[in-house]
Amino acid sequence: MALPQDPLWYKDAIIYQVHVRTFYDSNGDGIGEFRGLAQKLDYLQELGITAIWLMPFFPSPLRDDGYDIADYRSVHSSYGTLDDFKLFLDAAHQRGIRVIIEMVLNHTSDQHPWFQESRSSRDNPRRDWYVWSETDTKYHGVRIIFTDTELSNWAWDPVSKEYYWHRFFSHQPDLNYDSPAVREEMWDVMKFWLNMGVDGFRLDAVPYLVEREGTSCENLPETHAVLKELRAKLDREFPGSMLLAEANQWPADLRPYFGNADEFHMAFHFPLMPRMFMGLKLEDRKPITEVLQQTPSIPDPCQWCLFLRNHDELTLEMVTDMERDYMYDEYAKDKSMRLNVGIRRRLAPLLDNDRRRIELMNGLLLSLPGTPIIYYGDEIGMGDNVNLGDRNGVRTPMQWDGGWNGGFSSADPESLYSPIMLNPVYGYQAVNVHSQKRFDHSLLSWMKRILRVRKSMPVFGRGSMEFLYPANHRVLAYVRELGKERILAVNNLSSSAQVVELDLQRYKGDILIEMFGKNIFPRVTDRPYLLTMGPYQFFWFRLRKI
Amino acid sequence: MAEESILTDDFLRELMNVGEVDILIGVPTLNDAATVGQVVQSIRSGLLKYFPRQRSVIVNVDGGSRDSTQDIVRAASISDLAPGTNPSALRTLHCISTTHERSTENGTGLHTIVAAADLVRATICGVISPDSVSIEPEWIERLLRPVSRDNVDMVTPIYRRNKFDGLLVRNLVYPMTRALYCKQVREPHPADFAFSGRLASFFLEQDIWSQAVIQNGAETYFVISAITGGFRLTQSFLGSRPRVDHSSGDLVQALRQSVGVLFWALGKNFPTCPANSATETITATGADAEPSMEPVRVNRKRLYQMFVHGLEELNPVLNSILSASTLAELNQAAATGEDRFQYSDDLWVRTVYEFASAYHKEVISPDHIIQAMAPLYRGKTYTFLVENRDSSAGDVENNVENLCLTFERLKPYLLEIWNGRK
Repeated sequence: MALPQDPLWYKDAIIYQVHVRTFYDSNGDGIGEFRGLAQKLDYLQELGITAIWLMPFFPSPLRDDGYDIADYRSVHSSYGTLDDFKLFLDAAHQRGIRVIIEMVLNHTSDQHPWFQESRSSRDNPRRDWYVWSETDTKYHGVRIIFTDTELSNWAWDPVSKEYYWHRFFSHQPDLNYDSPAVREEMWDVMKFWLNMGVDGFRLDAVPYLVEREGTSCENLPETHAVLKELRAKLDREFPGSMLLAEANQWPADLRPYFGNADEFHMAFHFPLMPRMFMGLKLEDRKPITEVLQQTPSIPDPCQWCLFLRNHDELTLEMVTDMERDYMYDEYAKDKSMRLNVGIRRRLAPLLDNDRRRIELMNGLLLSLPGTPIIYYGDEIGMGDNVNLGDRNGVRTPMQWDGGWNGGFSSADPESLYSPIMLNPVYGYQAVNVHSQKRFDHSLLSWMKRILRVRKSMPVFGRGSMEFLYPANHRVLAYVRELGKERILAVNNLSSSAQVVELDLQRYKGDILIEMFGKNIFPRVTDRPYLLTMGPYQFFWFRLRKI
Repeated sequence: MAEESILTDDFLRELMNVGEVDILIGVPTLNDAATVGQVVQSIRSGLLKYFPRQRSVIVNVDGGSRDSTQDIVRAASISDLAPGTNPSALRTLHCISTTHERSTENGTGLHTIVAAADLVRATICGVISPDSVSIEPEWIERLLRPVSRDNVDMVTPIYRRNKFDGLLVRNLVYPMTRALYCKQVREPHPADFAFSGRLASFFLEQDIWSQAVIQNGAETYFVISAITGGFRLTQSFLGSRPRVDHSSGDLVQALRQSVGVLFWALGKNFPTCPANSATETITATGADAEPSMEPVRVNRKRLYQMFVHGLEELNPVLNSILSASTLAELNQAAATGEDRFQYSDDLWVRTVYEFASAYHKEVISPDHIIQAMAPLYRGKTYTFLVENRDSSAGDVENNVENLCLTFERLKPYLLEIWNGRK
């Protein structure tokens, strides 16, 4: 299958996020690798996703799950070789699946040769590739991101006897983007992978690239200039490739990352995600509609990326104190579930393994404006293990079947990179791909159906959106429109049955076609359109004028 | 509209949209545009500050206002329909309004409020008067918290009043309720109060709503039936409540709303607490405050004249209500002249008890009995004002306490005349 040539392919994409080591171990060493991932591409194609976002797979001491890169131009030996990666990439493309890889621009591992050179002496040519200071008082007041582990953004280097700047862990020194050599080198790195055929990059931690005294050192104009320079080169040399921004910021602060369609193609909508969970728990659409009302419009070619869960904690940085307290109390009563400023849990446990809520949240993910990202394992309702450190509890092996190691690996269980889930609710014997494939009503089968419906109409990826604001605040309803295509999404956020009256006068005469069963609902008239909805039920209607 | 339903179809639709809530606050109104905005804003602030996570609704039940009362209440809603109204609020807060067409009296309003509370399954309910312009957000916490936290069923207010304010409550309603039901509820006819969902359902099930007397004073009946039903009560200090000036016409209405209901309720639930038992103090939470001592301008001479004229004019009516000895004592006291006139506590309590008995026996129309009480109450008020002209707050409180004790001491007398032996 040839990849479509549409440069806006990312607007229609359904992205699947996966870490290569978690997915499938084909050589029995306890760690997933590219050959294993390639073997599971048929599964992903059948699921209906159209793009894979790979977490870092580069050589790394793995002190931050690969976000501490020690070599940008190779593959970690545990995951295979560059040739293995190329084989996987080609196999994905043959199935019409694009591949987005991670690019950590902001920092390297302290084991990276660049840093080793930089710290070796103050005269080293690569000294200015990192941010050094004789004192730890520069950039005073800049917030610390990993509040649970770091006390300062500066760390003392006993070798060169100066402090180096790090916004994340102290073993992740920040690169100095004031250095033209660094900017050129990072573009070379990106070209290396683009030439191999990757379709885009998820650029990690982009708000923090440049530092300036007296500022928050976040979202600075100088940072945007660096990103625009990269984008211009990308457009010139690799048109049709895509940049996705990871910038955990408020909507107004996120907007500049799109520029005039000359910076990022896509950016994660971080503030929306916790509010979807909040709206569900409050049984009130207000948090969701308000954050979307506050979301500025973005240039036409640009797109938001939506997600429910990912490899990190459910971040609560972009909520108010009152909202954060509420989220902790409702979703992380057990303090071990809390990490940094967030909640380290997977989708199914967050929703009490309630199938109706899992479906509703996926329904929202797939019908709100943006490109959806599905985190590996959430399509079968995998659980988490809060007893594992850091965020490793949401990075356990994929559960393929009820056999040895859940079908993930033939290695001894003790040699797996992470313990597999064993408990009676979320363990591999209860939750796995094989058993869910056997039943039409499993979560996996349902996910396949809804992805099929989503892909059937471009309006989901590209359409405008207008909220309907029915008087019943437990119901979130909106119309998506693209040309003559119109769909109506109605979501009952409540645990009880609801009646809702929708003002559809603008669509008077249209017939509503329910998109899953293709059943005909009554024609729209002058009067309010009455719907009764079961607990957590949602409808997708196609509006047709016949 | 469904026949016999207290809820209109439009209101029912609004309640459907509100759905299940934790807190419902009712605001009965009639042409209150001048004050209701301030009151509703304070309620809203109280809910957001002290109950941010609870599902809440403010329900305005209007008696047919011709001003903008209902629009003002509705405008206080917090929803995504009016973005920016309160971005810090976690939830939608519906402020809905309905008009009851049956009657302009308060009883229908309260009936609608408890019916709405029952339908939306509110576990914490409150009623706030649109006259309570001194309300602060803290009132909401003080009224609702005992219900939400301590499982209390009814919370009545204690206001910081002027020493000459609330005279009907001090001279009759409080002492008589306390004596008969053995519970020291300072405001048996509360303007602002809270109750549990359990109690709302209990009120709703009472077969009282068609009674004319309830239309005038459901609040008093709520308090009495909460006492007689064995529900848990508490009181909350709220602060100052502005004095509401009543014209002479309002006095009869005030008597109907409080004393009329009190007498009527006696017929339904004659108190079973023993005549000689001590009355129970009801816990009061919050900070007590001294009564304010600002001078209040009262025309005592006119009060006395109205008492004398009323007594003279109504003598034939009073003859059928009061015992010969009580009426004679009253006539005798009136004849002493303004300077020496004194309506003693003993005579006042016997007067009230005989009125209650007459009301029960329906010797004449109950409403005429209540109307006939007005001039006598003015006489007692005159005495209270004179006696307490220079009293300190503590002295006033002592005098009220002495009156309460007289009501309690003479309770056997009420039992005697109630049972027909006198």
